[in-house]
Amino acid sequence: MSTQLDLKEIERKAFRSTYEDGLWDIYFGLIVICMSIFIYRPASGYSPMNIILALLAMFVAYSLFWAAKKYITVPRMGQVRFGDIRKKKKTTMAVFLSFVVLVQLILLGLTTLGWLDPEVSVRVNGFLKSRDLMDLTVALIGSLIVVSGMTLTAYFSDFPRGYFIAAMMALAVFLMIYLNQPAYPILIGALMIIPGTVLFFRFLKKYPLPGEAGRDE
Amino acid sequence: MSDIKGNPSIASLTELDRVVHEPARLAVMALLYVIDSADFTFLMNQTGLTWGNLSAHMSKLEEAGYIEVEKSFKGRRPNTSLRLSTRGRTAFREYVRKMKQVFKDLPA
Repeated sequence: MSTQLDLKEIERKAFRSTYEDGLWDIYFGLIVICMSIFIYRPASGYSPMNIILALLAMFVAYSLFWAAKKYITVPRMGQVRFGDIRKKKKTTMAVFLSFVVLVQLILLGLTTLGWLDPEVSVRVNGFLKSRDLMDLTVALIGSLIVVSGMTLTAYFSDFPRGYFIAAMMALAVFLMIYLNQPAYPILIGALMIIPGTVLFFRFLKKYPLPGEAGRDE
Repeated sequence: MSDIKGNPSIASLTELDRVVHEPARLAVMALLYVIDSADFTFLMNQTGLTWGNLSAHMSKLEEAGYIEVEKSFKGRRPNTSLRLSTRGRTAFREYVRKMKQVFKDLPA
């Protein structure tokens, strides 16, 4: 192995060690659970309360994630700032994600316009004959939107577990839209939170607080 | 002695930077070379060195002008951020170049 490869490995290991706490897994698991509130269509009709509750739950999830990173991870693991390679990757990720979001917004805009146009609406309804086929199409599009964004994030963040998270999130969105049962995404969210929690406890064991390990600052 | 003088590849071994050559310092420098900066806790976790050991090596690297130390406070806790100086980066690159040359010249 060349020296250049060794240095790359040192940097990659150092970077990936920042994911050892499992907090991203827990956070995305909570997001999936929040999304189940957002997408669920109650029999009484979809209300803005869904959006308000989901946003509130997402805010709580992010606050927990932020606090855990600040008060639990950083004091144990230490602080690090990565070099130009990571900064460039971050910028590239932002560019790609912006492109994906732009495409999604254009698709959403065109879909809305299509539904509002009676001629297009009739043609689409004619093509997607049954309600079942309509739900299946929307569920597939929804999961594709989620999987594309999350896969890109996992790739550019050098986060291998991110691919699993992307697949689970896509499955959750698909089931949420297609079956309209919040139980499935909640179950999938739990499946993401469990490994995250195991990693988190392993992290606490591996990285005690500097004081606990008998060090002084 | 005349043998050493007559063999440039062996002589180059004696020219290796001893500050960088020590394994623990080499590990710290390699890590700092690939990142921008880190605090003591992060370096300790990554290198597996103890607090006292790392502190001693850091002092040597600081004396040689190879690292820059930035002391600050995060809330009420003191925080020491370390980064490789330009001189340190050059010394590390030069050390790697020399080591590569040494091993390239050694017979298999």
